[in-house]
Amino acid sequence: MSRAEGVIDVEAEAPVASWVLPVLAVVLTAGMLGYLQVASLDSIEQRVLVPDAILDATIQHINLVVASTLLVIVIAVPLGILLSRRRARWLGAPVLALANAGQAIPSIGVLVLLAILVGVGFSMAVVALVIYALLPVLRNTMVGLQQVDRSLIDAGRGMGMSARQVLTTIELPLAVPVMLAGIRVALILNVGVAALATYTNAGGLGTFIESGIVFNRMPILLTGSVLTIALALIVDWLAGLAENKLRPRGL
Amino acid sequence: MSDSFGSTALRLDSASPPNDVMIKLEGLRKRYPGQSTDSVRPLDMEIRRGEFVVFVGPSGCGKTTTLRMINRLVEPTSGQIWIDGRDVTHTDPDELRRHIGYVIQQVGLIPHLTISQNVGLVPKLLGWDKKRIEPRVDELLDLVGLDPAQYRRRYPKQLSGGQQQRVGVARALAADPPVMVMDEPFGAIDPITRERLQDEFLKLQQRIRKTIVFVTHDIDEALKLGDRIAIFGESSQLAQFATPLEILSHPADDYVRSFVGTGAAIRRLGLLRVGDLEGAGGGAGAGPALRVPPETTVYAALEQMLDAGAARLAVDGEPGAERSLSLQEMLAAAARGRQVPS
Ligand SMILES: Nc1ncnc2c1ncn2[C@@H]1O[C@H](COP(=O)(O)OP(=O)(O)OP(=O)(O)O)[C@@H](O)[C@H]1O
Ligand SMILES: [Mg+2]
Repeated sequence: MSRAEGVIDVEAEAPVASWVLPVLAVVLTAGMLGYLQVASLDSIEQRVLVPDAILDATIQHINLVVASTLLVIVIAVPLGILLSRRRARWLGAPVLALANAGQAIPSIGVLVLLAILVGVGFSMAVVALVIYALLPVLRNTMVGLQQVDRSLIDAGRGMGMSARQVLTTIELPLAVPVMLAGIRVALILNVGVAALATYTNAGGLGTFIESGIVFNRMPILLTGSVLTIALALIVDWLAGLAENKLRPRGL
Repeated sequence: MSDSFGSTALRLDSASPPNDVMIKLEGLRKRYPGQSTDSVRPLDMEIRRGEFVVFVGPSGCGKTTTLRMINRLVEPTSGQIWIDGRDVTHTDPDELRRHIGYVIQQVGLIPHLTISQNVGLVPKLLGWDKKRIEPRVDELLDLVGLDPAQYRRRYPKQLSGGQQQRVGVARALAADPPVMVMDEPFGAIDPITRERLQDEFLKLQQRIRKTIVFVTHDIDEALKLGDRIAIFGESSQLAQFATPLEILSHPADDYVRSFVGTGAAIRRLGLLRVGDLEGAGGGAGAGPALRVPPETTVYAALEQMLDAGAARLAVDGEPGAERSLSLQEMLAAAARGRQVPS
């Protein structure tokens, strides 16, 4: 939709200091890198903190987050839509309770349990992340659809839209902001939980946190945690941008 | 402006013989699931083509339920619905609704669609192409008194409540449906704007001549708008179904009388036009006369006479057809008066 002149801009809201997050991430990372430059690293630290290894771990971490979040969306959004249809509404509460339980279990528990039951590796870590982050997306999809004004649905049906047309032209677009908020929460959760994936041999920035603890080396520990934090900030920032972009106009 | 609101556009069944009855309800009944009584007890009603029928009645008497059975947003428990000679009780409801305009109190404009997209919804559902929808949308916005250039690209929340309901009416008219059902369309609008919308809508109806079923619980709105008024009692039982004048002059029973409230005789004067008053021809009588056009209501004329201290009324007309009435003659004529043809 192009914008005509003289049309009042509906999205007049100011981007709430959207630069704070990326700036903070950059400052943190730069500070940490500067510290590594000036600090005199011992042999263990030098062996662990190879630039290539840091880059690899970061990419692994991002892969874990992206893969698990995509899977969460693919599972939770259609499920949420299905559960909010009139005929399946009675199933909503029990499914939500189940998803709730998934999130209530400590993430490290899910990871270890899955590692014991099914094995270790990247895909197992993804499965654990999906179980963990399913709830916010599922719940927000359902809530997002439920909060759509009934009179709009009535108007749609009254004009002769089929149930499917009402879903696609009225309900889903109006649920998008709430659904996006859920996806954003899932993303942030996943950045944090993916730091534990190291315990199932799936790599990621958690590797540095783990070896930092094992070897009792502050620079290694610092690298792992600062990069995880910076990544979370960047992801949150990007998700916020996407949220603004994808929100339907006119709301 | 537009004259495409003919009766030609959308006959639901062109094969049926021309029929003066547009909507016919036969033994229409509704009991909601889990209820022990009928919300609408078997109801029979005939609504003529081009007629403006208003349902009034106390809250919970089943006006909305009856209305929503006509476009099958509520499925009747039993009974039949005929529209334009065709039994639509079991036809595809989505298709049916595309040919019945629907206006509700909450308006229900889709907030993320522009005004023009909202108005174009039903034509789009009917598969019109874009080239046909665009001019149609502009025509309709014009018709309801909104400048297309100014409003078509706006979003609903950039309009006032009154403007939104104009768009709601335009949207319902978009595909030129022969029938419109309206559930308290002006109910949430401030009194001054409501009056304006009522006046405009009456004028509009004089041009487009839709068959309209209109729900309200405001008896004054019903008297002002309806060709005929259905006064509902408990469970949609018809207490009286008649013209406003008939209801004011001959209420069927005490229930109707109490529903209409006090001042029936005075209110009737608002339904009569001075041009329709019988009696008294030419001759000028004594005292200063107040000159008014024939479409003035007796109510408004009396008001002006009181204001001006005039004891006679001069009604404009063709040269030679002007008439003059004394206060006495006016009241006598009003007591016998006919209804204003609408
Ligand atoms: N979905 C429903 N399920 C059960 N009962 C219902 C339902 N909708 C309406 N009713 C009942 O049916 C009766 C008629 O309701 P309806 O909404 O038709 O009344 P109404 O005349 O439009 O009232 P109002 O003037 O308040 O809008 C009421 O007693 C109401 O409680
Ligand atoms: Mg109602």
